Amino acid sequence: MKFIYQDLLKFVTEQPSREELSKKLFQLGHEHEIEGDIFNMEITPNRGDCLSLIGLSRDLNNFYNSQDPYNLYDKDIEILDLNFTNLSVNECPKISFLEIEIDKEISSYKPYLEDYFLKLGNKKTNFFTDISNYISYERGQPTHCFDRKTIGNELTFHNRVCREKFTTLLGKEIKLEGKNCIFTSGEEIISLAGVMGGDSTSCSSDTLKVLVECAYFSPEAIIGKTIKYNLTSDAAHKFERGVDIASQEKVLRRFITVVKEHASIRSLKMKTFIDREFEESYLPIEIERVNKILGISLTKEEYISYLEKLGFEINNEIKIPSHRHDIFSQNDLSEEIARTIGYENIESSPIELKTRSRTDYNNQITEIEDFLTENGFSEVINFPFTANEDKKSILIDNPLDSNRKNLRTSLKGSLIENLLFNERRQKDSIKLFEISDVYSNKDCIHQEKRLGIIVSGRCGHNHIDFSKKLDKNYLNGILNHTNEIPIFNIEEIPRENLKTKKNEKIYYAEISLADIPNNTLKNSRSKRSSISFIKYRPVSDFPSSTRDFSFSIKDIAQYSSVMSHIEKFDDENLKDSYIFDFYLNKKLAEIKVGVRLVFQSSVKTLSDEDIQKSIGNILNPIINIDGVFIPGLELK
Amino acid sequence: MSSMDNIEPPIYKKNLGTLHPINQTKYFLLKLLSDIGFKEIHGPEIESEEFNFDMLNIKKSHPARQMHDTFYIENKKKVLRTHTSPVQIRSMLESKPPFAFCSAGKVYRKDDDATHLPMFHQVEGIYVDEDVNFSNLKSLINKILFDIFGETVEVRFRPSYFPFTEPSAEVDILSESGKWLEILGCGIVNPVVLNNCNIDSNKFNGLALGMGIERIAMLKYEVNDIREFYKSNLDFLGQFK
Repeated sequence: MKFIYQDLLKFVTEQPSREELSKKLFQLGHEHEIEGDIFNMEITPNRGDCLSLIGLSRDLNNFYNSQDPYNLYDKDIEILDLNFTNLSVNECPKISFLEIEIDKEISSYKPYLEDYFLKLGNKKTNFFTDISNYISYERGQPTHCFDRKTIGNELTFHNRVCREKFTTLLGKEIKLEGKNCIFTSGEEIISLAGVMGGDSTSCSSDTLKVLVECAYFSPEAIIGKTIKYNLTSDAAHKFERGVDIASQEKVLRRFITVVKEHASIRSLKMKTFIDREFEESYLPIEIERVNKILGISLTKEEYISYLEKLGFEINNEIKIPSHRHDIFSQNDLSEEIARTIGYENIESSPIELKTRSRTDYNNQITEIEDFLTENGFSEVINFPFTANEDKKSILIDNPLDSNRKNLRTSLKGSLIENLLFNERRQKDSIKLFEISDVYSNKDCIHQEKRLGIIVSGRCGHNHIDFSKKLDKNYLNGILNHTNEIPIFNIEEIPRENLKTKKNEKIYYAEISLADIPNNTLKNSRSKRSSISFIKYRPVSDFPSSTRDFSFSIKDIAQYSSVMSHIEKFDDENLKDSYIFDFYLNKKLAEIKVGVRLVFQSSVKTLSDEDIQKSIGNILNPIINIDGVFIPGLELK
Repeated sequence: MSSMDNIEPPIYKKNLGTLHPINQTKYFLLKLLSDIGFKEIHGPEIESEEFNFDMLNIKKSHPARQMHDTFYIENKKKVLRTHTSPVQIRSMLESKPPFAFCSAGKVYRKDDDATHLPMFHQVEGIYVDEDVNFSNLKSLINKILFDIFGETVEVRFRPSYFPFTEPSAEVDILSESGKWLEILGCGIVNPVVLNNCNIDSNKFNGLALGMGIERIAMLKYEVNDIREFYKSNLDFLGQFK
């Protein structure tokens, strides 16, 4: 909800600056952003009473003394002869109608009305609809104007199953489904009550006589309708959060004064239909309880003063104002007091929990995680949604889309996707695992925590593992080494149906954690070390390039110097480097060291020239060492 | 000339993998709460509406129920839990105060854009005892945030709305750029929730807090895009060794 700073000032006797006002609104829990004169508010869903100028000013009364600057039309009004039938009094216990007719001449809008459109960027529609929209902004109570000549004298409110098509006043045709609160005139649905009126009865610039409907609709009757029909409705937003059941006639009297300021009124008639009286709510005065909840020492005088200024009437009990739908208990009153004092002004007082139940973090999951990460596996977390469906799949009633309509019954599909993704990013040694709950449904919903492991490519990036492949033997050695009967079933994933041109074999294992015997996957580390939060470097999406070099060290005395240089390789384009081969040729007294350099830039695709330049920077210190050669290397 | 026999081959550098940064952060937060006295509890991700909403005072008509935009399954018989609070409800029903529970795990909301994911992680804590109050809650939250972000961090409490706590607060920390960042939600457990769990709300009060693990991880690791956590990109994951 947006409001104009100067508009709100009219509703308070003191005149706070924008900054002061902003501070107090934050203190009260009303988040907002300020753009010039406009406060863009984010009102919490329990505070529907604050969705208007008068509502916000009531909440600010403890600081700035609220007031209603506008007079309401106070003359007697002739009773409207309307044949109205309410068939759903639970959804609409109270409704008022105003019939108003004006002369053709309408004066230009007064500044307060003009500003509502100009400064808040609202679109003018026609005289009566404009006033209806403004009144909702000022009072928080939506009204709806029917062009009087388009409806007869019979009007019915229902909450019934609808199958009809309905065209809104904005011209959008919707197909009504399920139960809806509607107004009908004869057989025709003329309004989706509390949400939006219909096209056939809407006002135009020629409308001179209207029937203004002003009702209390229960939030339950309205909630979900805008989403269901993909409509945007300020009225529905307010009814969903609760309007003041005592305000309808007052709002219509204010409607009349605004009309009167702009046009001559020919006739006025009004009638209120009350099918269920508003039940006043009371709470006992329990200052000690409020002090106990907040941890403060409030006096009775302070307590009464704070609450009275928020509209609570206090005698032997506390009467809750009709606009407050969110007050049920002493905890609710405590929040009112705390907001008024300011959360920041309530001192914090240390507490020692009486419980001493340390959680053991050396459990099966942490053991498995530590074992696998120690063996070079990286953990992934996947969303559980999948297009794949099997007999045990759990179907989502309202999926995000058809590709995510089932819950996965296995981790395999996700891990294959993860592997292929990393292959496309030029990874040649992929070892991933995931531990997650998986759900299935046969006769009932079954929950199982499972471990999935997938591998493909090289065993590792070092001189021992580089030339070895991740295969069934590798996984057996890691997973099944402690048990005589293998507990992990390792399968090869055929590549035929995968979108990939790679041909490295893929191996996969999945198991329920309940089927893994204790100590099967346990590493030598006894305790997990504490986490250190590293500073993340954004991942480059540009391609990487690799270059392999074989160092021939014929002067053995230079070996340690070469290795020291290799350890310190550094260049802005160097992403990774490792020794992938080591050979000691005793016969020729020569050492061969194979080094792989991986280049990648975070800002561009590297050209051959860029890479050559980086290679020069990296390797020059080594090739200048006597007795060290890189056969075939030509540095520019 | 050195003897060839004295040449040491390169040191074998075992390639270590990584625990997912979200799980690292989750364990960090759970350990922090455990050290204070909270006991870790677990619960299912597929929940009944009763435990996910009703027991937590989220009424059928309540906008919060619409706000969550929940994934329903099995013809609306069950939901994918929208928060970890139902785990606490299950444990509260089987416990007598004083108790302190914490739970962490995946939660689901029907949301999918640049800043919201349909699945994310939460960690929550609840402490129920006699004579605990909002003033204690502030102290507890300050301690937790000082442990996460350092004792110099500036913390702000402001009123908010959660159906299961009353009073409710959202807590912000001041970033280095001078912007307040929303970090967690907390409050005094709504007496309706205590009564639903057969706990005498006239005798006991509860302190509750909850936070998004992704939010904490993003701030601590300085990751700007939440989606990075779920690409399973080894270039990303490999940084969190």
